[in-house]
Amino acid sequence: MSTDLMVSGIGVVTPWSDRAGEAAHGPREAGPEPWFDHRERLGPRGYKYLPSATQYLLAATRQALADAGEPEQQEERRGAAVGTNSAAVAVHTAIDATVVAEGARMLNPATAPYFSINLFGSRLATEHALKGFNLTLTSPRVAGLEAIEAGSRAVGLGRASWLLAGATEEALPEGDPGARTSERGAVALVLEPADRLRARGVRGYGHCAARSLFLPPRAAAGAADRLRGRIAALLTELGLPEGRPHRTVAVVDDSPVAAAVSAALGTGATRVEAGAGSLEPVLQVAGALAEGEGPVAVVTAAGEGNLAVVLATPPERT
Amino acid sequence: MNDVLITGVGVVSHLGTGVDAFWEGLTAARSTPTTVPDPYAQMKLPLMYAVPGDAVPTGPERYGDLRLGLGSRLAIEAARQAVADAGLSDVPPHRVAVVIGTGMGDSGLHEQWRTDGRPESDRWSPVFSVASAVGSWFGAEGANSSVSNACAASGFGLSLAADLIRSGEADVVVAGGAEAYSRVALACFNRLSAIDPERCRPFDRHRKGTLFGEGAGMVVLESAVHARTRQARRVYAQLAGVGWSCDAYHATAPEPTGTQITRAMREALAAAGATPDQVGCVVPHGTGTELNDLVESQVLGEVLGATPDRLPVYSLKALLGHTGGAAAALALVAAVQILYRRTVPPNMALGEQDPECKVFLPTAATPLTGRYALVNAYAFGGNNVSLVLKEAGV
Repeated sequence: MSTDLMVSGIGVVTPWSDRAGEAAHGPREAGPEPWFDHRERLGPRGYKYLPSATQYLLAATRQALADAGEPEQQEERRGAAVGTNSAAVAVHTAIDATVVAEGARMLNPATAPYFSINLFGSRLATEHALKGFNLTLTSPRVAGLEAIEAGSRAVGLGRASWLLAGATEEALPEGDPGARTSERGAVALVLEPADRLRARGVRGYGHCAARSLFLPPRAAAGAADRLRGRIAALLTELGLPEGRPHRTVAVVDDSPVAAAVSAALGTGATRVEAGAGSLEPVLQVAGALAEGEGPVAVVTAAGEGNLAVVLATPPERT
Repeated sequence: MNDVLITGVGVVSHLGTGVDAFWEGLTAARSTPTTVPDPYAQMKLPLMYAVPGDAVPTGPERYGDLRLGLGSRLAIEAARQAVADAGLSDVPPHRVAVVIGTGMGDSGLHEQWRTDGRPESDRWSPVFSVASAVGSWFGAEGANSSVSNACAASGFGLSLAADLIRSGEADVVVAGGAEAYSRVALACFNRLSAIDPERCRPFDRHRKGTLFGEGAGMVVLESAVHARTRQARRVYAQLAGVGWSCDAYHATAPEPTGTQITRAMREALAAAGATPDQVGCVVPHGTGTELNDLVESQVLGEVLGATPDRLPVYSLKALLGHTGGAAAALALVAAVQILYRRTVPPNMALGEQDPECKVFLPTAATPLTGRYALVNAYAFGGNNVSLVLKEAGV
């Protein structure tokens, strides 16, 4: 079931940069609003009524597929997995306000289907004929990394020949708790089996594999030692030889679960502040792959207890 | 590769709480939607199949900073039943995973906050934290996933749960789906003119859409090795085959030729090693929407030879309504009971069956003749999943 997948294409859309390395590690100074023009990024027709998070994901996907060289394969062998936490919050808030104030008959029928969060990732299936599968994962903070994990497992089981995996988020409404750390943008990665990539003559950005786990918040205090062992074991399962030097990036907040993860990883890990959603961990994976120095472990945790670990390893020298 | 067994079942629905109440409700074949008790539900048809008041779990209210809505509470109650039914104890926490499918998560809680005021907090409360809540309740430390492929969410979730066992990453997965009332979802279906004003009546000639329902269906999935080692008290069935596909056709409408749902069904049957004549019952997606029921009927005929008089189709949504992200899990619970009890319960009588939907919907209890059951679930975005269950001990 385990298949060695490599990333062959990266697409990133953020308010401050569309280059993976810069977006992950550079200064985060957004340009003037509106920072994303769907006509310019996607085309003059057909995108106006799509919610922003769908537009971001479509733009990131186009980048990633162009970068990968559009892996050719029959439509039923193409799979997608998308993670999101907050893509629908602004849409739900606006819909609810209309229903409460004016009634459902005043809703725009073009946006009404987007009450369903899987539609934020489904347009890309229509646009790129991804008929193998199109998963939507929504676990707090780890959803984007879970998209890599669950999608890769499905490729390993033969449900598709390659995978488009990523995350997309839209900002929380102003005034909502957590709005300060809410995220806008999308990251898309194309993952293909390593032997298939070699056959195409493509070096790729590197191997990428993910696993997730859970720490009940009530058990967080005093869990650091146990977590250290579990994270190390998962990295070994993901292909990191014991004792091999690697960089660790911890995408964490100030919750007790995140504190346990930080303590487990120690002072050697680079700490990156988590946003409210699932975008930042995938952005850090994209940044690590684009920079090509590695191996890099990206570890993230949510206050609700969800954790995920990704190992990104540069391609072998030839 | 590890076989995936179902060793525990839990359910909360419009029919009440617990598997016995569920089976009694299926056998009685009576059900009526009610008006939602939400003064802010300004819409033409504020109807649904709600969980009755005496079956609504009143807690828990929170785990740490995580406040729980009804979706989470339904999931925890159904999980509690399933875990007790399985007699699980002393499983190392890191070998237990949780996978929950839900289309709206705890949206109802956020909707309540919008009208009644939200609690003081500077931290965002994620909407899709149902699986996290179940993980916290159990103390499960394996993978913990929330899957949100709309009305097929728990079908994909159960598939992912089975994958975790087959890959050796978990010995036990508490898996299923949960869905509770959401004003936003019901309003949008009203705006899309997709609500039937009378009741949910799949395959009826006069059907006019669907009606939502609340509920949670949970199972304990377990590797055969683990179940055998701990001498599990009961094996209900085996989750033997999974098939996935995506129409990649339209945001809300099914692809009218059914090419991709055909592929999902055939892949699930092939993975289970089941031939069409070994299938004893189908719990279809069957929502009451015009095109879905028509296309699914045609494909069932093509794939299984499901002509009237051969293969019983059990139309669960006629009793529970469309439980969204929980629908596949509740359908799986029904199919598990049908296999285990060797009886297909009576379908709720239709006014007039659509002559274009050539499926067999017996209105009397029918002895099960096959060894396999097929469950279908489809969703917005053209997401299709079929699951094949095999009777225990075959």
